[in-house]
Amino acid sequence: MGKSKTEMLQGTLDLLILKTLELEPMHGWGITLRIQTLSENELRVNQGSLYPALHRLEENGWILAKWRATENNRQARYYELSAKGRRQLAAETENWLRLSGAVGRILGAAS
Amino acid sequence: MIRRIARAIGDLFDRDGRERGLDAELRFHVDNAAEQLRAEGHSREDAERRARMNTGNLGAVKDECRETRLSHTIETSWLDLRQGIRMLTQNPGFTMAALGTLAVGIGATTAIFSLVYGVLLRPLPYGRGDDLIVLHQQAQARNQRDLRFSVKEIEDYRGAKNTLDAVVEHHSMVFLLLGDNFAERVQTAVVSANFFDSLGVKPALGRTFVESDDTAEADGVLVLSHKYWASRHGADPSIVGRMFAMNNRPHRVIGVLPPIPQYPIESAVYMPTSHCPTRSSQRFQANRNARMMTVFARKKQTATIEQARAELSSIARQLSQAYPESYRPELGYKIAAESLHEELTSSARPALMVLLGAAGFVLLIACANVANLLLAQLLRRGRELALRAALGASRGRLIRQLLAEGIVLSLAGGLLGVAIAPLSLRVLQRFAERFTPRAAEVALDWPVLAFALTAALITGIVFSLAPALWFHRGLNDAVRQGAGQSASAASNRLRAGLVVAQVAVAFVLLAGAGLMLRSVLALREVPVGFGTENVLSMRLTFNNRRYPAIADYRKAWDRILLELPQVNGATSVALSSNVPFDPAGVAIGPSNTEFAIEGRPVTKGELAPVVSTMNVSTEYFATLRQPILQGRGFNERDDAERPQVAMINQTMSRHRWPGENPIGRRVTFNAGQTWIEIIGVVGDVREYGLERPVGDQMYLPIRQNGFASRLIVRTVGDPSLMTGAVTRALRAIDGEIAIDQVSTMALLREESMASAQATAMLLAVFAGIAIVISAFGIGAVIALSVSQRRRELGIRLALGARHSSIIGMVMQQGLAMTALGAAIGIAAALALTTYLEKLLFATRANDPWTYGAVALLFLMIAALACVAPAWRISTIDPVSTLRQD
Repeated sequence: MGKSKTEMLQGTLDLLILKTLELEPMHGWGITLRIQTLSENELRVNQGSLYPALHRLEENGWILAKWRATENNRQARYYELSAKGRRQLAAETENWLRLSGAVGRILGAAS
Repeated sequence: MIRRIARAIGDLFDRDGRERGLDAELRFHVDNAAEQLRAEGHSREDAERRARMNTGNLGAVKDECRETRLSHTIETSWLDLRQGIRMLTQNPGFTMAALGTLAVGIGATTAIFSLVYGVLLRPLPYGRGDDLIVLHQQAQARNQRDLRFSVKEIEDYRGAKNTLDAVVEHHSMVFLLLGDNFAERVQTAVVSANFFDSLGVKPALGRTFVESDDTAEADGVLVLSHKYWASRHGADPSIVGRMFAMNNRPHRVIGVLPPIPQYPIESAVYMPTSHCPTRSSQRFQANRNARMMTVFARKKQTATIEQARAELSSIARQLSQAYPESYRPELGYKIAAESLHEELTSSARPALMVLLGAAGFVLLIACANVANLLLAQLLRRGRELALRAALGASRGRLIRQLLAEGIVLSLAGGLLGVAIAPLSLRVLQRFAERFTPRAAEVALDWPVLAFALTAALITGIVFSLAPALWFHRGLNDAVRQGAGQSASAASNRLRAGLVVAQVAVAFVLLAGAGLMLRSVLALREVPVGFGTENVLSMRLTFNNRRYPAIADYRKAWDRILLELPQVNGATSVALSSNVPFDPAGVAIGPSNTEFAIEGRPVTKGELAPVVSTMNVSTEYFATLRQPILQGRGFNERDDAERPQVAMINQTMSRHRWPGENPIGRRVTFNAGQTWIEIIGVVGDVREYGLERPVGDQMYLPIRQNGFASRLIVRTVGDPSLMTGAVTRALRAIDGEIAIDQVSTMALLREESMASAQATAMLLAVFAGIAIVISAFGIGAVIALSVSQRRRELGIRLALGARHSSIIGMVMQQGLAMTALGAAIGIAAALALTTYLEKLLFATRANDPWTYGAVALLFLMIAALACVAPAWRISTIDPVSTLRQD
């Protein structure tokens, strides 16, 4: 894990996980790869944060877990967005955009 | 949420499955990472090593995953509980002290709450009981707040149709109920046919009245009260249909009521209005001033009680204008309406609230005591807790554990408390009976148990929170010191503070109990005005069909007065219409009659004088030993043929004829048609209870006036042993005389003080518990402080200090806490005992003697509590103490 890679706040990680699962169910490894790829290697997810986060989201009822075979025919725990999770994603996305917009405006004004 | 719980349950039952899943999931991730690394060109071993390294501490990750689960919280709570129970069983001394304190605190509070709930809070056991109201006519100028209603008035007030659904009446008579070899005087409630329907009362057996029962031609019907049915007829299920004779006509039992509180009076049987001889007479019904009935109403659900009052008041105003003779303006007639609930409970409220407060105080003291015990316990466990903190138990986890221990303790204490609470239930019901018809509803049922559980839980949180919070701050010290030695400065302050608080609260309780006791003593001191010892009294009811005219009664009375003194052991016999301390009289006070004094005409618009009257036989004053102060007493010649005469009490003499001689003055009760001459003045008697100031009282001879229903016998020995002989002598005169309310004057006097005494006793019990618990609190703090300072004290001794001076030093510490607590207690008691004022008689709530005595008592008890631990100082051997550590 490079120190220069951006450290993520917990809420951000939750949001990214939910977003990643929006299209299709995935296992933890898949989520790691997807976030890495989509962020063009800018964000790396530490497993030490990923799995507790997944279990927490599951406990909240935002995602559902199911054991399923991968294309290589190995059993993996797949996570899937629940209806509640979808609503949560929408709300959090809006929050995030509003917040980052505000931060961006402040930074823009300061320069 | 449901899914969460379901999953938690699944997790708890399949812990292995959960673990395997977690393993497999992380394994999958590591394998994939390794595969990727190999694809990037690392060797197999290298890839696996790096992948595992990247994953970090697998165990920690698993821990974190587990902790997100509900099942985890449940599991650790369970562990906390088990740990708590283990801690408690390992320290039986501590546990028993704490459990005992809690059981007493929670038991007392629960018992009193059952009383408060049953009487004040429980909904009335009538249908829509909140809409039931009681009407009163009031004559404000006479301070009469509870005037009854006449038939005409009830008809008029039925006109309040906008706010009231039904207006029903109730009055109480005493009739003889005759069955097969069965004659009994029964309190009979005479009610409207729709009385029970309007109150929403469904019969337990049979039916209640319908309109067709309430006509002059209808067969006589009776409904029995539950209590009378159970106590006098053995709860006979076939009672419906049984025939009795009453007022010389047959009456059939048609139903039995459920056990409901009966207001305004507890009755044995109920009958419809048309069968009451008095109520059904034409003359009575036509007389607007014949006010005999209590009126209940059911308010419309949409109307407020204020709206009902407004509508009733507007009717009252119309009546005042239409019938100025019946509603004389100078009397200030008004109509009032109060909720039935309020009527049933208002007189119980002050005493119950005071007791609930007292019980709450006992619980508070118990809390402080257990908190103190827990703190001492924590100090001893300082090393264990510090070790667990060092081994990585989080602070929150440790505090949660302390809370769990507290809750285990309080729930166990609460259980014990609930187990002992029923022991007091009978006593408390008896107590409540003195204030309210709802006493039978007092029970330990679900709402009360829920209260006990809540009280226990809150108690547990309160008393374990203080130590836990201290612990939170003090843990650093404990860790550093490695033991509970000097982490205790803060805790000692907290412990001393808890003891001071205990003493302060106990002081308030003791001051309250002291005031009540003083008030009871003051009550006992009140001179009653006659000799209460060796006097038997009973109520007689004659079958009025055997005595068609007043002259027939007078003949029977003469026989009684002639023959009863022949009974062995009787020295003097009298008949009267009332007896002093009659429970009904004590409850409602005198009922006054207007009269006029010769030569003192009352001008229109002025209030006429009033007086309470009673009818007595010739020997009445001699029998009671009520002194004749002026003039003469009644004699045999004061009969119907002679001019009417009366005697008055001293209060009336001073009130109406101050500085004059009342003998020979004349008064009239019928606007001068007959004049009554005052022939004597007797000493004042507390006819209506010790608490009521003596009012104007007039005595009229039964040979000239009214009826007598009380037999009074002065005896040589114990009057209660004479009941049988007196009853036999009465039966010989008339076998159908019903006899009840047999008592002695001494008992009646006691009875009149019983509610004050019972309140005082209950408060004294609470105060006693409080003082014992506080004394233990003081003792425990001193003991701990002595054992903590053992070394320091040893050094002092080694340096030449004397044992006695050190004991004095320690005692001083205990007394200082007590003095501070007492000082706070005095301030708090001065503020709080004002709530007692309603219950006090001839005692001020800030009575300095009571406060002084209580403070002195506290210092003495504190000194006693300190003696034992302080004495242990004398066992300190300086040399061995110095060698320790």
